[in-house]
Amino acid sequence: MSQSKQEKSLVKFPGTGADDFEQYTDENTVLIQRTLRSGQTIRYNGNVVILGDVNPGAEVVAAGNCIVMGVLRGVVHAGASGNEDAAVIAFRLRPTQLRIANHITRAPEDENDTTFFPEIAKIKDGVVTIEMFSTFNDRQIRN
Amino acid sequence: MGEVIVVTSGKGGVGKTTTVANIGAGLAGLGHKVCLVDADIGLRNLDVVLGLENRIVYDITDVTAENCRLKQALIRDKRFNELLLLPAAQTKDKTAVSPEEMIKLCNELKEEFEFVIIDCPAGIELGFKNAVAGAESSIVLTTPEVSAVRDADRIIGLLEASEIFSPQLIINRLRPKMVRAGDMMGIEDIIDILAVDLLGVIPEDDQIVVTTNKGEPVVRDPRSMSGQAFRNTVKRLKGEEIPYMDLDESGFLTRLRKIFNRK
Ligand SMILES: Nc1ncnc2c1ncn2[C@@H]1O[C@H](COP(=O)(O)OP(=O)(O)OP(=O)(O)O)[C@@H](O)[C@H]1O
Ligand SMILES: [Mg+2]
Repeated sequence: MSQSKQEKSLVKFPGTGADDFEQYTDENTVLIQRTLRSGQTIRYNGNVVILGDVNPGAEVVAAGNCIVMGVLRGVVHAGASGNEDAAVIAFRLRPTQLRIANHITRAPEDENDTTFFPEIAKIKDGVVTIEMFSTFNDRQIRN
Repeated sequence: MGEVIVVTSGKGGVGKTTTVANIGAGLAGLGHKVCLVDADIGLRNLDVVLGLENRIVYDITDVTAENCRLKQALIRDKRFNELLLLPAAQTKDKTAVSPEEMIKLCNELKEEFEFVIIDCPAGIELGFKNAVAGAESSIVLTTPEVSAVRDADRIIGLLEASEIFSPQLIINRLRPKMVRAGDMMGIEDIIDILAVDLLGVIPEDDQIVVTTNKGEPVVRDPRSMSGQAFRNTVKRLKGEEIPYMDLDESGFLTRLRKIFNRK
């Protein structure tokens, strides 16, 4: 099932929309083509793109941005070496804890899985803010 | 050449031993040659659940230490001629057996049996490593609890690291009424996280406790819900397409069907 999820995200990727992601990835990007399960960690001194889910109990730590083409339920840390411009993007952003640089946030206690669209987390005016990742969403509707 | 299947869960007490006993008895009841291996050294249970405790002379550590031949340590079930048990040692600990010894043992057993089913201890340490060493496929067990599902997820990752891919999932102790009331994780919630194939759903059933205490697997009980669920699970393990049964009349079936069709 995660397989089909991954494939779906892959077909949406190429062509017209790819430049949306280009601003969040550069040559220093690692691609992880599987789901991270509880107890598994990815640490990378650059950007991390995951074609799968990040399950509860799994952890991603990136010096740069982190993009999850699936459900992000675990712990994520972007800009881990202090980059306040780093971002976290996920198809479904439901992290246990989300950190950017030295800002730490967690999901609200009354967790309702209300959002069913891709989102992006960034630091704006010193606060971690979460917004719809809209260009991506448009393309999803068209498909 | 038979298949070596490890039954594992990470979390303790979710029903591994119960499942091994019932799947083993179910397969033997259909005429297959089955060997059950109790790899929970130091916390031997499988013999008790099968009512065979008083027949043990040699155990798995006697075989690996070459105190006896493999055949001498195998105990034949009193109900099924084709069901044999290799019991664990009770007076030793997990270090009494090594992964290499387990691989050798499993290779020997699968020459002889169609199904070799290993009862894995709880945890992720040496006992787990021993139990999975000789296995080529796995059944991962969970209950509908967040902590059990989390541990199952961890185990699936560790199985992949041991090159045992595509585990099959059994959800044990499901209580449809609680799921309906939103007080328990449902099947879809669990599959959504674990993303593996479903092999069976076993309801919470007092009859399991009753039969286990008698040393009599519930799979032989024609009336109980859990017995039927285990019989269905056994058939699916053999590759048959068996629809999921209605664990209670509440639209539960429709949800199960949806999952089934999604494959
Ligand atoms: N579906 C069920 N309904 C009711 N009771 C159950 C069910 N499944 C298991 N049990 C009970 O739960 C207890 C634990 O089961 P079992 O010993 O099979 O678990 P286990 O995973 O092998 O435990 P351990 O990790 O200690 O080896 C037993 O008392 C058993 O009878
Ligand atoms: Mg047990």
